[in-house]
Amino acid sequence: MLYTGGIIKIRSLKQKQNVSLYCKIKWQLCLCLLLALAACNQSDQVTQKQIVLEDDLGREVKLNRQPKRVMALATSMTEMLFAVLDTSTIVGRTQNDDYPAAALTKPVVNNYPVDYEQVLRLKPDLIFTVEGITPLDVAARLEELGIPVFYQRYETVEDIFTALEDIGQLMGREQQAEHLADSLREQVAQIKARHQQQEQPLRVLGLAGYDPIYVYGHNTAITDKLRILGAENVVEETYEPLTREYILKSNPDVVLGGTPQELEESFFSIYPELRKTNAYQNRRLYAPTTDLMARPSPRVVESIRELERFLYP
Amino acid sequence: MSRALYFLFAFFLILVVLVLGLQVGSFESDLGTLTEALLHYNPNDTTHFVLVHLRLPRLLLALVVGASLALAGYLMQAMVNNGLADPYLLGTASGASLGAIIVFFGFVPITLLGIYMPPIFALAGAFLVTLVVVMLGYRKRQLIPSQLLLAGIAISALGTSIVGLLTFLSDSESKLRTVIFWSMGSFERASWAMLPYPAVALLLALLLFVYYQKHLNILLLGEERAQALGVQVARTRWVILITVSVVTGFAVATSGPIGFVGLIIPHVTRGLMGTTGRSNLLFCAFVGGFFMLLCDLLSRLLYPPAGLPIGIITSFFGVPFFVYLLIRKNYNFKG
Repeated sequence: MLYTGGIIKIRSLKQKQNVSLYCKIKWQLCLCLLLALAACNQSDQVTQKQIVLEDDLGREVKLNRQPKRVMALATSMTEMLFAVLDTSTIVGRTQNDDYPAAALTKPVVNNYPVDYEQVLRLKPDLIFTVEGITPLDVAARLEELGIPVFYQRYETVEDIFTALEDIGQLMGREQQAEHLADSLREQVAQIKARHQQQEQPLRVLGLAGYDPIYVYGHNTAITDKLRILGAENVVEETYEPLTREYILKSNPDVVLGGTPQELEESFFSIYPELRKTNAYQNRRLYAPTTDLMARPSPRVVESIRELERFLYP
Repeated sequence: MSRALYFLFAFFLILVVLVLGLQVGSFESDLGTLTEALLHYNPNDTTHFVLVHLRLPRLLLALVVGASLALAGYLMQAMVNNGLADPYLLGTASGASLGAIIVFFGFVPITLLGIYMPPIFALAGAFLVTLVVVMLGYRKRQLIPSQLLLAGIAISALGTSIVGLLTFLSDSESKLRTVIFWSMGSFERASWAMLPYPAVALLLALLLFVYYQKHLNILLLGEERAQALGVQVARTRWVILITVSVVTGFAVATSGPIGFVGLIIPHVTRGLMGTTGRSNLLFCAFVGGFFMLLCDLLSRLLYPPAGLPIGIITSFFGVPFFVYLLIRKNYNFKG
């Protein structure tokens, strides 16, 4: 994942070309520029380790040195950083971040739209974010301003643990990260062991919105969480908006997405046809904690435990 | 081809698309199941239930909304005597969106007394905005079409920007998706309980304009000449205005603002039937309904199971046809 060097040569070559160009125009400038170039090369030699990384989206992320000041532009990422890093290396948080409590002491950076000035004020060496939260053009703008952006992407629960290790490696906290990831893996394995003998796996629908009907598709983290719990996501589609007919056909045993009262008022009253589903008939309607469902973070284990309580009361 | 044949043909096409549309969905069904479900409905058979309670009202709503928008578009174009007019000119769409979004963003409980509020507020918003636009377009005891147009554009823009502001300030992703979806239109909420409202509005409008069809055609000649020919221009305009706002209001409240149908279908009608055909309005409603059904079917075939948002399909397939009409030499708005 890491490799160094190779970049410096290209940079000094460009600068030399610039010099000769300027000489033609105004040769008096030449000497000054040569001096500047020499200075430049010298400083390059001092910080010769330019680090070039590839993030989860395959983007090149260039760092001049190992980052000492970082922040996240996604709420879940702030949780990831606090779990692995020394709190003092985290320089800010977004307006929505509320976990862990230590995050609340950090200065706020608006992430939608991104408050570039505040980011510049806090001078992070590197920004971490999650695919889908920070648009690519925002990342490009931040990089123009000299702040590299590192994207992570997760599909499974294991992806989150690997991502923790990646952060650890990048920030020189390998041990802490590995320790944490292994402990989380161990907890997941224990939960998984309890539910591998399900004869009839529970078929679960995760509702993300009522009108239109938005569901957690099979490409979302809930699928893996349910698999760990010996249950299955009824949604086979990757995308999210769905029809009443699809839900009637999949006939879930459990609906996650609101308290029975909320679902009655805002979901089953609009789509009374769906009262035919097993989940409604048996009143197996539950409201998982939104933050736990929406944030891929070390608290994913907590989220799995919550779902476990719903599925196997 | 004679007009009667056109009608028969349109009716036949509607029937074909309706039958085809009834067979597309998550549950497997064929012509046999369909006739079985319609003739010997068995409430315990889920496929029957789906066909009769989900697919049929959905398709009928598409039919009614398509017909309503096409009819309203035809009337608006006749009233302002301009081929660019569409049913949303009076601000109906942005008013309805604003009404629905006020509910979605929690300013009003989402269900009151067991009634789902977004369509109710959408209807109220549509009427309220139309009322404001009409007040602005009303001068010297007369409706002035050009003034009405400008007022409609201005008030629509205001509504859109308020919707934009609410969207921007939204704190939840699911609310955002709701707003985006609402703006592209959908028939997924269709039920037998809601279908009568837009359907009755459409039928009344059709009956009314069987009587007023002649007035419409004369109105196309321009205000002075219409007046000279004995048409009460002011009264006719009021009748059109009220009809358009009611019909469009119900269509938008039940399915969201679906674009292009109201603009294109009236032109298609005039292209096929002539500018001043006696049964143009009825035919326009037929074609509008057919077009919407076809778009709904295509959307569900292209992107099963939920289908692409209907508004995307209507413009995607409607615009090329519209362009064809525009470049055809023998078509002219005023005949």
